[in-house]
Amino acid sequence: MNNNLGIIIRREFMERVGKKSFIFTTLLMPVLMLVMMSLPALIAIFSTPSDKTIAVCDLSGTVMPVLEKSGQEHLTFVPVSAPADSAIHHSEYYGVLSIPADIVDRPSSAILFIHEGGSVETESTIRNLIKDAVRDRRMQAYDIDNLQQILDETNVDVSLQTIRVDEEGGEEATSSSLSFGIGLFMTFILYMFLLMYGQLVMTSIIEEKNNRVLELVVSSVKPVHLMLGKIFGVGLVAVVQIIIWGVLLCLMSAFLLPALIPDGVGEQVAMLNAGSIPTGADTLDPELLSAISLFSSVGYIAKLFGFILIFLIGGFLFYASIFAAIGSAVDNIQDASQLTSFAVIPIVIGLVIGMTAGSDPNSTLAFWTSIIPFTSPMVMLMRVPFGIPSWEIWLAVGILYLSFLAMVWLAAKIYRIGIFMYGKKPSVRDLIRWARYK
Amino acid sequence: MEILKVDNVSKRYTNHTALDDVSLSVPQGTIYGLLGPNGAGKTTLIRIINHITAPDTGSVEFMGHPLTANDVVNIGYLPEERGLYKKMRVGDQALFFAKLKGLKTREATAELRKWFDRFGISDWWNRKVEELSKGMAQKVQFIVTVLHKPKLLIFDEPFSGFDPINADLLKNEILRLRDEGATVIFSTHNMESVESLCDNITLINRSRNILSGNVNEIRSAMGRGRYRLAFEGNPDELLSALGERVMDHSFEKEVNSPVTEAKLLLRPDVSMRETIALANDAVELVSFDRALPSMNEIFIHTVKNNEQ
Repeated sequence: MNNNLGIIIRREFMERVGKKSFIFTTLLMPVLMLVMMSLPALIAIFSTPSDKTIAVCDLSGTVMPVLEKSGQEHLTFVPVSAPADSAIHHSEYYGVLSIPADIVDRPSSAILFIHEGGSVETESTIRNLIKDAVRDRRMQAYDIDNLQQILDETNVDVSLQTIRVDEEGGEEATSSSLSFGIGLFMTFILYMFLLMYGQLVMTSIIEEKNNRVLELVVSSVKPVHLMLGKIFGVGLVAVVQIIIWGVLLCLMSAFLLPALIPDGVGEQVAMLNAGSIPTGADTLDPELLSAISLFSSVGYIAKLFGFILIFLIGGFLFYASIFAAIGSAVDNIQDASQLTSFAVIPIVIGLVIGMTAGSDPNSTLAFWTSIIPFTSPMVMLMRVPFGIPSWEIWLAVGILYLSFLAMVWLAAKIYRIGIFMYGKKPSVRDLIRWARYK
Repeated sequence: MEILKVDNVSKRYTNHTALDDVSLSVPQGTIYGLLGPNGAGKTTLIRIINHITAPDTGSVEFMGHPLTANDVVNIGYLPEERGLYKKMRVGDQALFFAKLKGLKTREATAELRKWFDRFGISDWWNRKVEELSKGMAQKVQFIVTVLHKPKLLIFDEPFSGFDPINADLLKNEILRLRDEGATVIFSTHNMESVESLCDNITLINRSRNILSGNVNEIRSAMGRGRYRLAFEGNPDELLSALGERVMDHSFEKEVNSPVTEAKLLLRPDVSMRETIALANDAVELVSFDRALPSMNEIFIHTVKNNEQ
C-alpha cells in the first residue's frame, strides 16, 4: 500500500512541475525580486529633477558666492538687486531667495518665495548651502592659519569591524547589518513559501472534494495516504524550486561574481578574511568587502540554502497538515477563510517577530519563538546568519519535526472524516469532534 | 459460494444512525441490487464494502476472509457522484488509477488500449478531462472502474447521465463482465433496470435491511393471488361467479373496445384452474395472467409499509 503513496506523490508533483507556470515563476521570481530590491535606485535614476532658476537677492554678500560656486546640476542661481517681493513677479524664476544683511548672526532669517508647490529636495539643498556659507564665514572670524587643511585632516569616516568568535575559537569577519539582510531574505522566502504552498495544499484538497474525484481515489488509497501524498508532493515542488534558486545563486557566485569584481578587490577580501583590515588608498568599505566575501563563497550560500531547506521542509509539513485538515473540512474556499486564519496568523506573527529578532537575535523573545514550532521556521532563519549556537538550531529543528508528526496525526484524523462531509460549514468544535472519532 | 458477506453491520454518526444491524450476502457471479430511498444508508454500506470507512460493529467477509485494505485491488467502484482530475489527460489519468489498483504501467497501458478501442474513444488519450462532455467522462470513469479486472464491481447509479444508446452499451458490458465471472453490486433507483439485470436484491430503508432475496422469488411472493384478466362481458357477473374468492378488484373499460381489463386479488388457497373455469363461464375471457408486481411497486409498497 505504501507503493500507492509514491504514486500519489508522483501525480501531485508532476501536475505542478510539468506546468509552464512553474518553470515561468521559478525562473522569473529571482529576476522579479532583484527588480523589487533595486527599484528605489532605479526610480532615483530615472526621475531627474527639473531645472530651476532661482533669483537671489543677497543683501549680506556672503551667501551668493557660495551658491554660485556650488555648481548644482539642476539649480541655477541668478543675482538680482531688486527687492525680493518685486522679483517674485518675474515668472521665469522658480522662486526668489531673500538673504538679509545679518544672515551670519541670524542664520534662520533667509526666506524663499515660490510660485508653485515646493520641492523638498530644492529646499534642503538651499538650506545646506546657506549653512555652509554661514559656517565658513563664522570660522574665518576666528582667523586661524591653514584652517581648510585642519578641517580636511580632522574629517574622518569610521566603520566598525566586527569579528565573531565561535565556540571552537575560529574567527569570522561579520557585519550585523549584512546578517540582518541575509536573515530577512531567508525569513521572507520562508514566509512566502509557507503561505503559498500551504494554501495550495488546501485549495487542491477542496477542489478534489468538490469535483468528487476524492471518493474514487479513496476507494483505492487510504485517506491518510492521500493526504500525505498531497502534502509530500506539493512540498517536493517547493523544495525543487528552492534548490533551483540555490543552484542558480551558487553558479552566479562561482562564475559571475569573480568576473564582475574589479582587480585588487579580491586581495582586500582575502586580507579581511585573514583577520586584518585592509588599508590604503583604494580600500573599499569593510561592510561592502565582507558582503563580497560572503557572496563569493559558494560554500556559505549552499549552507544558507541548506538551512532554508531544513526549515522549509519542517515548517511546510507542519503548516500544510493544518491547511490540509481545513481543506478537508470545507466545501469551498469561502467557507475556509475563517478557519484559514488559524494557520495564516501564526505564520504572519512568525514573520513579524522574525523581523524584530534581527535587531536583537539573542533576546528572550527571539530565543523562545525560534524554538516554538509555530514561529520557529521564520524566527530561526532570521537568527541563523548571526551565528547563534548550533544546539539552538538543532533543538528547534528537532522540535519542529516532532511537532509535524503530531500535527499530521491530528490532521489525518480530521481529514478522514472531513472529506465526506458536505453542506454544513464546519466550526472548530466540529473539527475537534471529528478528531476524537474512533 | 458467497463472494461477500455482510454480518450485522452498524455504523453510527453523532446525530444519526447510518446503518443498523444490516446483513446481506452476495453470491459469486451474480448481479446484486442494492436498493433504498435517498439517505437510507446505501452509500455508507458501499463505503464500508470499499474499506473506505469501518463499521462500528459487525463484520464484512470478502472471498472467505475478513475484508482488509489489500482487498480493494479486487474491487472496482463507480461512485454515484462522478469525478476525475479535470486538468489531467485522459490516458495519464486512467493509468494513474490503474496503478493505484496495483497494475504495472505496461499491462495497464495495453489493457487501456483495448478498452478505449472497444468504446471507440482511442483518440481521447491525450485530451484533458475538462475538454470532455459529461457522458464522455463517464465512459472514461467506467473503464477506470473495470480495468483491473476486479472480482467485485460496485456500480452506484451507473446509467445516470448516459443516453439510451450508451446506457445499452454499458448494460451489455456489465452483463459481459458478469458472464466472465465478476460479481456486480448495483445500486440504483431505476427499478426497470433492476428487473432486467439483478438476480438478487436488498432493500434498505432507514438504515435497516427490510427486504432481501431473489428478484423472481420476491416478485412471485409479493404477487401471490394477483391476476390480470381481460374479458368481454359484465364485470358484475364475473364477480358474482367468483364470489368469496375475490379479496380485492379493480376494472377498467378499454376505450373503443368491448374489452374490460380487471385486476384481481384472490385468496391464496384458490386454485388458478378453478378460477379460470368459473370466469370463463361468466364472461368471454380474452386473456388471463399472473400479475407479477413490478420492482417499482414492491419498492414503494415495502418502504411505505416499513414507515408505518
